Amino acid sequence: MARAIKGSLVQCDPSIKALIVNIDAEYKDIVIEELDDTHLLVDPAKIPFIKRELNILLSKNMYNPDDEVQVS
Amino acid sequence: MESEPIDVSEQQPEASSGEKKESPKEKEEDDKYFSSGGESTDDTAASDYEVLDRLHASPRTSGRRSTKQEAREKAEEAEKRALAMDRPSDFVPDSVSRIFGASDFSYLNLKPDNASRPLWINPLDGRIYLESFSPLFEQAQDFLITIAEPVSRPSFIHEYRITTHSLYAAVSVGLETDDIISVLNRLSKVPVAPSVVEFIKQATHSYGKVKLVLKHNRFFVESSQADILRMLLHDEVIGKLRFRPGKNGNNNENTKNSSSNNNNNSTKDSNDNLAIAEAAVPSYAFGKNTVDKNNNKKEESAKDNEEEEDVEDIYESVIGDEGDEAEDDIDKVHSFEIATESVEIVKKRCQEIDYPMLEEYDFRNDVRNANLEIDLKPSTQIRPYQEKSLSKMFGNGRARSGIIVLPCGAGKTLVGITAACTIRKSAIVLCTSSVSVMQWRQQFLQWCTIQPNQIAVFTSENKEMFSGDSGLVISTYSMVANTRNRSHDSQKVMDFITSREWGFIILDEVHVVPAAMFRRVVTTIAAHAKLGLTATLVREDEKISDLNFLIGPKLYEANWMELSQKGHIANVQCAEVWCPMPAEFYQEYLRENARKRMLLYIMNPTKFQACQFLIHYHENRGDKIIVFSDNVYALEQYALKLGKPFIYGSTPQQERMNILQNFQYNEQVNTIFLSKVGDTSIDLPEATCLIQISSHYGSRRQEAQRLGRILRAKRRNDEGFNAFFYSLVSKDTQEMYYSTKRQAFLVDQGYAFKIITHLNGMENLPNLAYSTPKERRELLQEVLLKNEEAAGVELGEDSENLIGHGVSKRIKTSSSRAVKNQSSLSGLAGGEDMAYVEYSRNQNKELASHHPFFQKNYYRKKMR
Repeated sequence: MARAIKGSLVQCDPSIKALIVNIDAEYKDIVIEELDDTHLLVDPAKIPFIKRELNILLSKNMYNPDDEVQVS
Repeated sequence: MESEPIDVSEQQPEASSGEKKESPKEKEEDDKYFSSGGESTDDTAASDYEVLDRLHASPRTSGRRSTKQEAREKAEEAEKRALAMDRPSDFVPDSVSRIFGASDFSYLNLKPDNASRPLWINPLDGRIYLESFSPLFEQAQDFLITIAEPVSRPSFIHEYRITTHSLYAAVSVGLETDDIISVLNRLSKVPVAPSVVEFIKQATHSYGKVKLVLKHNRFFVESSQADILRMLLHDEVIGKLRFRPGKNGNNNENTKNSSSNNNNNSTKDSNDNLAIAEAAVPSYAFGKNTVDKNNNKKEESAKDNEEEEDVEDIYESVIGDEGDEAEDDIDKVHSFEIATESVEIVKKRCQEIDYPMLEEYDFRNDVRNANLEIDLKPSTQIRPYQEKSLSKMFGNGRARSGIIVLPCGAGKTLVGITAACTIRKSAIVLCTSSVSVMQWRQQFLQWCTIQPNQIAVFTSENKEMFSGDSGLVISTYSMVANTRNRSHDSQKVMDFITSREWGFIILDEVHVVPAAMFRRVVTTIAAHAKLGLTATLVREDEKISDLNFLIGPKLYEANWMELSQKGHIANVQCAEVWCPMPAEFYQEYLRENARKRMLLYIMNPTKFQACQFLIHYHENRGDKIIVFSDNVYALEQYALKLGKPFIYGSTPQQERMNILQNFQYNEQVNTIFLSKVGDTSIDLPEATCLIQISSHYGSRRQEAQRLGRILRAKRRNDEGFNAFFYSLVSKDTQEMYYSTKRQAFLVDQGYAFKIITHLNGMENLPNLAYSTPKERRELLQEVLLKNEEAAGVELGEDSENLIGHGVSKRIKTSSSRAVKNQSSLSGLAGGEDMAYVEYSRNQNKELASHHPFFQKNYYRKKMR
């Protein structure tokens, strides 16, 4: 009998895809199938988790002037 | 407004009692205060000193009060206290006050005509926000630039900050405390908060009382009020630093004796003397207190002091103003000497105890140093902003030390020259490289009447000195600060420089000089006035505040946008180009360590394509393009692949000159690649477009300096001319972070960075590099095989020049270059190596090696 798994299709930049694959490598069971450079099938239950992780990773590349200690 | 000063005194007891309380209690205290404001007026015992103390503890000034332990830890509480002072007693916090916390300024009621008033002052940190679209903007800006430091000046709202330094500068150009406050009040949308008023008063009242004077090559601390001097001598730091040449041992004994005597005195003597004696006991006793048993008045005792000192030690003699001799003692100038090496400590300390030293040079009345025959040529024209900056320096007919900040290419050199012509004394100019030494010399000859034989150049190649008693010396920081063994010749020159007094010293590019080196320079050369010149008064290591003690306050900072509107510097379009990483590159990027990551994002093939496309596009427009890369490996790869000449640290001098000349005059060479050796000191007015492919992490200074390369573009006054500044950034990598940080300085100057996410038509470019996955994979392979060292940026300070540093750099970079061939098998066999070298050097060599005869005939044929 055919087995069906429910999944969400994620469309994103190649770099974001690489990041998601990287998260998957760490936590397992997130990505169901890598389709191509810009598409992924992921576990729908893990989507909030993925979003959170991505935000953390991407915020590292963001510069915020307020983070710096103000020197008077 | 009238009621506010009263509020200040009302709040004193409340706040000073809060000072001793724990923070939870403080909270209660605050709440109680808000609910029953009237009560606090009952006890008004606190003196002015407590107000001042409280102000010191507030965050705005806490940095300077390092002696106050509470300052930093309790910054927040202090903030609350400052607030308590500001808020009128009838202030009732409304329902949302809690959200804003300390930043609830709703008690500052808007004036009815606030719309026509252009600024608002933050009572907590003294920041001023100015509307640049207001009709009063011009006047307000002129005023603010005098009393405050510009922080950020984008299109619509400008931000300034009132600091103690800026207020000192304001006072020294003749502004009165009351004028400052009243003008601020007139321009402000809300009444100026009492804490700001208090801050201004406090910073300005003590300024100018103490002077640091250089006489006969020795430093004296002068003041017209003896009690201030005595106060300084009683200070634990400064008292010890008093310098008594020759009689040191003797005087130390004296000190001990006198302090014990003082104790006796104070017990014996009347109450009047008690205060002085007590103050003297802890650290140091001012020699004379013992003597004046009968004199109770301070002035009289001071007079006695000076007479005694004259007898005791001729060097400590009190110097009186000749004209005022007959008048009151107060008009006399009292002084004591400090050692040269302790000048900086004393200055810093004086700053801390709120008696900042005034360093002024009365050059017109200086008869001791010979005048220098130097004048601006009649043809020399000074631009209005240059004049403005100089007027701040010579505000009251005396020369003040300080820093002038002008954008690159806005004529800093001319400002320096004009200043030297005003002072007309022997001057010394220090710059960062021997190239700029020659530039300064040439500019001096061009703009003013000085004779060539009066200009001496002191570099590693040239060690001549001027003849006569006055002249001009141009040298580099490293020549003067060198501590290693010198050659006989240069030692002789150095002795000459250190042995005499200089009227004026110009310090070019002050921001690049390491603090330690700077100290050595400033202490070894005795100069009356110092002028620092720079375009970018920022450093990533926050050492910039040191300059305040070493040179002086910032005197003037030009508005970049205004200058470019008036055509003094080029109008620049800034853009950040986002280059997505191909999937395979990004996967490797995530896997690698930090250094290798850098190499990957620099060698991003999309970035390469973008670079190629932009070069192609701008060459067709007729632009001259400079491509900057800090990473030498990338520089080489890009330049070779695109067949363009390149210069980096180990390019020989001859080749560099050749490339630069070709770039300037040869129509065939429109693009050059530069490593960070080109950041400063290379003057290429032909360049109109700049592409940056890799940079030195988050250095704001480098970004501004690079932008400076195109600000002086020759064609800037053409109709509708724009210079272009592109920064290529790999998307979703660390580079994004650095890039934004680097831009911060330019954004503050009012530049807007456009973000380009996609370059239209890039895919259709013929011969587009790395357009197939195969090529990209090969590139990736190559990059991954690279040694980590290749990822590093070029070594050495970017202030280093073209000449004189080539050798050391070649040694440093040679290690990474040697590694490069190890991956290539055919290279090991020896066959391909030669061909590779020939190929790689092709562009540079072609420009370099041909005889003019061949160039003339052969090139013409080739062009046909």
